[in-house]
Amino acid sequence: MITAERKPLSEIKEMIAPYRKILVVGCGTCVAECAAGGEKEVGLLASALRMDAQRAGRDLDIKEVTLDRQCVYEFIDQLTEFIEQYDAVLSLGCGAGVQAVAEVFPKAIVVPALNTTFVGETKEAGLWVEKCRGCGDCKLGFFAAVCPITSCAKGLFNGPCGGSQDGRCEVDSDTPCAWQLIITRLEESGRLDCLKKVHPAADWSKQQGRGPRRITRDDQRI
Amino acid sequence: MTIFFCQRIDADQDAHRRPLEKELGSRIRFFPLPCSGRIEPLHLLRALEAGADKVYVVTCLEGDCRYGEGNMRARKRLAYAQGLIEEIGLAKDCLELIHVPAGTTTIDKLVKELLARKAFAGPVPQAAPGQARHQRQL
Repeated sequence: MITAERKPLSEIKEMIAPYRKILVVGCGTCVAECAAGGEKEVGLLASALRMDAQRAGRDLDIKEVTLDRQCVYEFIDQLTEFIEQYDAVLSLGCGAGVQAVAEVFPKAIVVPALNTTFVGETKEAGLWVEKCRGCGDCKLGFFAAVCPITSCAKGLFNGPCGGSQDGRCEVDSDTPCAWQLIITRLEESGRLDCLKKVHPAADWSKQQGRGPRRITRDDQRI
Repeated sequence: MTIFFCQRIDADQDAHRRPLEKELGSRIRFFPLPCSGRIEPLHLLRALEAGADKVYVVTCLEGDCRYGEGNMRARKRLAYAQGLIEEIGLAKDCLELIHVPAGTTTIDKLVKELLARKAFAGPVPQAAPGQARHQRQL
């Protein structure tokens, strides 16, 4: 899941300051799961903005909408019938959602209300932890399904570094040592041999340096 | 004034609040909850937006929640909502949490005590030039 956090209200207010009619658009998928951009958060932000405008004696007209997915055309199309009535769109989608809305409606002014942060897991109620950097060359099969790029502060492919203490990372003692987890899991599942493989440095060209990455699958195309 | 309250604090809350509602009309709104853990920050903001000067969340004592942690969740959510209203310059005291031992008072008695608070003078804007508000009598 993609996680995000709401921007400070002052930053949001600055972006929408020139506009009077605002369409606040949430997304009911990832950012709803991390309590940043779902229907409730749309309501909270809209309510706060309305009260703020009222206190400042400003006229602000807000409509609230939450799409099931803000990164898929079929859902974004639901905005078509009324988006032109608004001066700006305040998106509570992830970065992909904001850009998708702007691509579908190129004349619309679309601004983000969230800072998109990482691909992560809901660890417990109110706690989300980064799990994947989207490196484009997944090696979880060798590392007992613990990502050394994401979960090891040093991103080591051939760990451990030797600095961990009591199973905690020396960089951040709140974080479990990824390599301790890898070795323990491999040992428990009788796969310690996996550690004999030496992994070359990551090929970062699969993640970055060539503009936006694409995934194309003919079997999924019409 | 808007009051969200756990029904457990007054078993006969329905009968006790009706006369007050009749007497004060739109100046007071009660929202009985099966548990204070049902409260959401959005409820609190909507209440303020609808014109409430003060919003109370009345819960049973921590450790005494019938459902375990409802009142603790109410406390955390109220704190979150306080952060939001501070961002728009409202005093966080516009939202207040009150713990009441279950069965020790009735909702009408409690509300009369709250109304009698000398300090109750509507919200205190932190930075709202030109928005001077006058003391209100309920």
